[in-house]
Amino acid sequence: MDCRETQTLLTAFHDGELPDADRARVEDHLRGCPECGARLAGMARLDAAANVPDPGPGYWDRFNARVLERVEREAEGPKAAVLRPKHGWMRQQLRYLVPAAAVAAMVMAVVRYGGLHPGAPAPAVPPAVRGPAGPDPAGQRVAKAEREPPATEKRESSASARRVPEESLRVAEAPAAARGERTSRDRAAAPAGIDALSPAAESQVAEKKESASGTRIAEDRSAEAPAAVSLGKSRSKAGPSPLASVSPRPALPCELARTQAAQGRWREAETAQRACLAQDRSAPAREKGLVFLAELLDRQERFAEADAVIREVDRQFPQSRPLDLYRQQRPMVQKQPMTVPGTR
Amino acid sequence: MSAGLDEERDERLAVAAAKGDRSAFDALVTRHRRAVYRLCWSATGNPADADDAAQETFVRVYRSLPSYDPARPFGPWLRKIAWNCGLSVRRDGNAGVPRVSGSDAPEAVDPAPGPEESAEGNEERRRVADAMAGLPADLRAVMVLRAVEGLSYAEIASAAGIPAGTVMSRLSRARERLLAALAAGSEGGS
Repeated sequence: MDCRETQTLLTAFHDGELPDADRARVEDHLRGCPECGARLAGMARLDAAANVPDPGPGYWDRFNARVLERVEREAEGPKAAVLRPKHGWMRQQLRYLVPAAAVAAMVMAVVRYGGLHPGAPAPAVPPAVRGPAGPDPAGQRVAKAEREPPATEKRESSASARRVPEESLRVAEAPAAARGERTSRDRAAAPAGIDALSPAAESQVAEKKESASGTRIAEDRSAEAPAAVSLGKSRSKAGPSPLASVSPRPALPCELARTQAAQGRWREAETAQRACLAQDRSAPAREKGLVFLAELLDRQERFAEADAVIREVDRQFPQSRPLDLYRQQRPMVQKQPMTVPGTR
Repeated sequence: MSAGLDEERDERLAVAAAKGDRSAFDALVTRHRRAVYRLCWSATGNPADADDAAQETFVRVYRSLPSYDPARPFGPWLRKIAWNCGLSVRRDGNAGVPRVSGSDAPEAVDPAPGPEESAEGNEERRRVADAMAGLPADLRAVMVLRAVEGLSYAEIASAAGIPAGTVMSRLSRARERLLAALAAGSEGGS
């Protein structure tokens, strides 16, 4: 045995992982080779000095309490566990995402539904100026009152979506009672009017999902159909993953979740999706949003958490079609959790 | 349940914790927190992310306890979760997501060395630790699991989800790089 062969086996020899026959050969070589002997001694010294810097007793004193505090927080209930940011990192992310999402949702509500009314004039003032980017009560009304527009209103083009006509602002500022029975439900719906995409639109979004540009995704929504969803069809077009097909309206964290999921950044996508869910949302969007969250958890091999989310969907939305569809695909997701949809 | 927890096997503690025994869970955390932290450090390469991942590991463990099969050894199951958490945090960092700012980060990580490190914290240990922090994560991980945790190749393979042959080749490369880095450091310092 020469030095080269010995050195390929030296690590395993040092670790006691070499079969007896090879071990004997290496020992023979070492008896007559000071160079390989020195290399072995270097490994031993290295291992003896190998360490991970210890964060110190103060850290360990608080460690268990911090874990238990988070566990307690999550144990408040399945709803809390599903919807709340669970710990420091996520909370930190949400610190930025939630305010950003709120602003984006308000702006998008104006932008999106601003040009819905026939004959509405073109905007005289850009959304950034007229849009409620701050804690303006009128702006909040825009976001809340316009959450569930009639089906026909959802067919507007991306161009008209950018308008902010006077009429839409007037509607937004009208007393809630004037909007009839839907008002109370509207209040409980999502700020950005989240709903489902038509199969065609979903397919388009799926095709674009590699894009990190929110603008492109928003433009794809020009093909959105009224309301009802046929996720199964769209998925068969868009690929095996439901990630691309459950597509909320352009509230920032919802889009972030989708974009990051398309890039395989599951954990970030999960954080964004939780922020998305934490918004006040319509039932259909919430149903699909939770299913999406379950998939993101599966992608991270957090199957028990995904199970909990799925149970929550079952509880809140019996006979959920999005969940049925995901259940069909789940074994594949769990088998190849890290595979980015579209690359399989 | 609280009496004799120190001697209780992990698997029994896990079963008790799954039934809601917080002291059993606490005992598991205490028993494994350092190893989990080290594994997370090996995956992430820095204390702030290691803390994040270590905390997340135990939260996930708690959530997953109901599905834990006590017929399977607890250690490998825990290491797998810790490794995944470490990778997950590392991916977040690599993806350029805004990280926890310095002032907010791991409220816990104590900049001062622990007593163990103070006592034994000679120059060589510090240099080795620095060199290990500079390794690619996949090499660093096998090095920590082997040299610090004392795991067998099979156990490392299971924790990191790689073949045993890959464990050996990574260890070999890790040691080569570390020895080269230390040799270069010695020459530079002399």
